[in-house]
Amino acid sequence: MNTTPDVAVRTSDLWKTYPQEPEPVHAVRGVTLDVARGDFVAMAGPSGSGKTTLLNLLGGLTRATSGGIEVAGLALSALSDRALATLRLERIGFVFQAYNLLPVLTALENAEFTLLLRGVPAPERRRRVEALFKEIGLEGLEHRRPGKLSGGQQQRVAVARAVVGEPALVLADEPTANLDSAASSALLEVMERLNHEHGTTFIFATHDPRVMERAHRLIRLVDGAVESDVRQDPHASRAPGAA
Amino acid sequence: MTASCTALPAPRPLTSRLPIFLHLAYHNVVRNARRSALTAAAMSLGLAFLVIGRALNDGGHESWIKSGVRMGTGHVAVQAPGFQRSRSLADRLSAPQVPVAESALAAPDVARDVVAVSPRLTVSGLASSPASALPVRVEGVDPERETRFSALPESRVSGAWLTADDRLGAYVGDGLARRLRLDVGSRFVLTAQGADNQIAGQLARVAGTFHTGVPALDEGLVYLPLTTAQGWLSAPGAVSSMAVLLRSSRATERVARALRPSLHDGLRVLTWQEAAPELDSAVRIDDYGGYIFMFILLAIVALAILNAVLMSVLNRNREFGVLQALGLTKRETGMVVFLEGLMLTAASGVLGMLLGFGITWFFWRDGLDLTSLMKDSITVSNAVASPIIVPEFRLSQVVLSLGLTVLIGVLASLYPARQAGRIDVAEAMKFDQ
Repeated sequence: MNTTPDVAVRTSDLWKTYPQEPEPVHAVRGVTLDVARGDFVAMAGPSGSGKTTLLNLLGGLTRATSGGIEVAGLALSALSDRALATLRLERIGFVFQAYNLLPVLTALENAEFTLLLRGVPAPERRRRVEALFKEIGLEGLEHRRPGKLSGGQQQRVAVARAVVGEPALVLADEPTANLDSAASSALLEVMERLNHEHGTTFIFATHDPRVMERAHRLIRLVDGAVESDVRQDPHASRAPGAA
Repeated sequence: MTASCTALPAPRPLTSRLPIFLHLAYHNVVRNARRSALTAAAMSLGLAFLVIGRALNDGGHESWIKSGVRMGTGHVAVQAPGFQRSRSLADRLSAPQVPVAESALAAPDVARDVVAVSPRLTVSGLASSPASALPVRVEGVDPERETRFSALPESRVSGAWLTADDRLGAYVGDGLARRLRLDVGSRFVLTAQGADNQIAGQLARVAGTFHTGVPALDEGLVYLPLTTAQGWLSAPGAVSSMAVLLRSSRATERVARALRPSLHDGLRVLTWQEAAPELDSAVRIDDYGGYIFMFILLAIVALAILNAVLMSVLNRNREFGVLQALGLTKRETGMVVFLEGLMLTAASGVLGMLLGFGITWFFWRDGLDLTSLMKDSITVSNAVASPIIVPEFRLSQVVLSLGLTVLIGVLASLYPARQAGRIDVAEAMKFDQ
């Protein structure tokens, strides 16, 4: 694969097959795509269409059966497990459907966790997290444990954790699935602003029409393959083809 | 935002992230307070039992050894080379050798460990009374020095202990006295082969009788004043052995090593293990039993830790998935779990030691009284085991107990740590998990 500075993610003929009886399951089938830096991409499709598997492949959480993946100019297949861990730490942010905050840490400690792992000094960590918390409406909640936060607040902490290290790419798996519409809208606004102001690349796996509406690009997956890939105007009232 | 396409920075060394892992591990231990407390309690009790058990075991053994050596050849014995085997008067320390041995025993590096030294002349012979004649072992002893050494004067049941001016006085086991139908003041005759190879007889009068509980002593031992025995056996100034009583059996090897260079010429220095191998074997066998008990206890504790840490790991797959998604390596994820086990072990170690020391100290004041279980003293290889066991602290045993506890804590944490590192991250992060 050629490395292009403006490409955040590139896949070529990507396959992920799970050996299973009586027949192997192809969760991702020959996906080839480029995602530009600073893009805001939604991947939609029915359950079992391969959205989460594709996100896991892009994030280096699972290895491809065949094909190539390049994230921030690095071919994942060439990286060791240790290097993949470093890539996730330095270049990729994750937002999960179930928030997945570490329950023993406060909101602030959760958000600064990746900075801590990178060895960023404490004053710099606090400055960055506090600024971000202010920006996304978490001010005053820094010292609460996840159990004392609402779903929307937890998901915003998860977003803060994903973006605070200024990664090249944020992968979000159904980030609004457990949120009510107000919390979903608020969260999407936060992510749009981060995308707009910081140029962070976002790739969502989603069922949520509100996410699809606001995406700049909508990729539909069916049975592990790309069915459609449409660039759209997020300011239009409704995303084409959204449910 | 500056999404860099440059090469990745070098991974940070594990040690630089240690404070983070310790922080996480600490909070994870505290999070499941009840489970952690139960695990720590199991480990603490295990360690406390080890400390108490070893201290009582060692205390009991010290009591056996002390009893055995005080009724036998001492912690260390200086003898003629063949005496241990022959038990014959022919193998004796001659009169000129006795002061040499005394002088070596008075050397400062030896004397500091010595409580008493008793010169003895030993012979096998026959005790005859009008009622019967029985084989006996006769020990000629210095009454005053033997008092400081032997447990026998304290085991008197009638009459009195020997005195230097009562030349014919004999101190006999109560079983022997009964079989010979002797009372205090009764006369009887001792017959044995002297140093001149002539059979000689010695009139004796029962000064007192003793009861130790050891049949071999109670039914077959006669004590005479040393000078009487030397005269009777034509061995003036000679002794069969110099029995040495030490402050502690732990000093045995050290004293024997210090004595050997100066007592090599025609003399032999024996430790109590060499002089009383059956007692040594009894202590060793009991020790092995103790170690087997210790092993079983540790195995149970190890399983308790393994179970607790493993259960905690199995419930936290998603959390480990998150840690790895955020940039921890498999090894680092395992390290967090390993540190949790280590923290539990450390806390349990401190608690267990405090508990173990506390209970042992309690028993140390008055001893563990087992008289309700043992009506009478029991004998072990010619030693009397007291029903009151006073525990004995040995730093080596405490270090061993603590070391083994730490070791099993470490070993029991390794497997869960490995499991935590080996999870399939994508699988662990599935929402419906």
